[in-house]
Amino acid sequence: MTVVLMLMLAVLLIPIYVGARDQDVWQRMLAFCSIATKTSIMILVIAVIRSDWAIGVVGVLILSLGNAALMLLAHILRRLNEL
Amino acid sequence: MDEFYIVPIVFLLPLSAVMVVMQTNPYTALVMRGILGAVSALVYALLGAADVSLTDALVGTMLSITLYAIAVRSSLSMRIGAIKLDKNDPLLVPIAKSLSKYFMRLEIVEFPDGDHLNSALEKGEIHCKFDRHETEGCKLLIRVPRLYEILTAAGIPNLSIVLLEKTGAGL
Repeated sequence: MTVVLMLMLAVLLIPIYVGARDQDVWQRMLAFCSIATKTSIMILVIAVIRSDWAIGVVGVLILSLGNAALMLLAHILRRLNEL
Repeated sequence: MDEFYIVPIVFLLPLSAVMVVMQTNPYTALVMRGILGAVSALVYALLGAADVSLTDALVGTMLSITLYAIAVRSSLSMRIGAIKLDKNDPLLVPIAKSLSKYFMRLEIVEFPDGDHLNSALEKGEIHCKFDRHETEGCKLLIRVPRLYEILTAAGIPNLSIVLLEKTGAGL
């Protein structure tokens, strides 16, 4: 299972690299979305490795609610271009 | 040393924190703050603190990003007061362009007559006043010295920019 976690960590570095590069704000939002989902899936994997279901519940909550922050931020950023 | 995978995952936290600090644009810094929040929620869950992780994801990331986005959006804007000003006026395009270098927005506030416009400028509700004379051309009276510096440095054609004397109104 730790091999799976290491692989997920390597995959997580890809959107972090994309977010660090100098690009427009929507590319960074995509990277943010990708990272938010990947980290919460990693929390679920950790919960399975340790058989700790308190962490599992938190992982599910972060997976579902973490994207709400993304929606709110995207909505505000979209309205920036309007005069 | 069963859980050797903790160390490289925890190392993501300072990496994303440095990425937040390096940003110059406030909006991309907010996106980076979201990435930092996601990574820190992962790290707290990894270290066994499920309650801290949930609180960080909900309050530390979702609420703070939303509040900061609203604060940045409303503070980084220049309010132009005018009696009649079309949003697509060609004079506004170079103004908006020069302000966008400083990540600022343009906001138009319309007033029914000149008295309301002048009192709003004195009270500090708007940052500048737009006047259009048929003979003298267009004029922008600015109350804030820094905005005056930014717009005069941009060199906008067909628009005379005047800095108003201090009227006692706050910035």
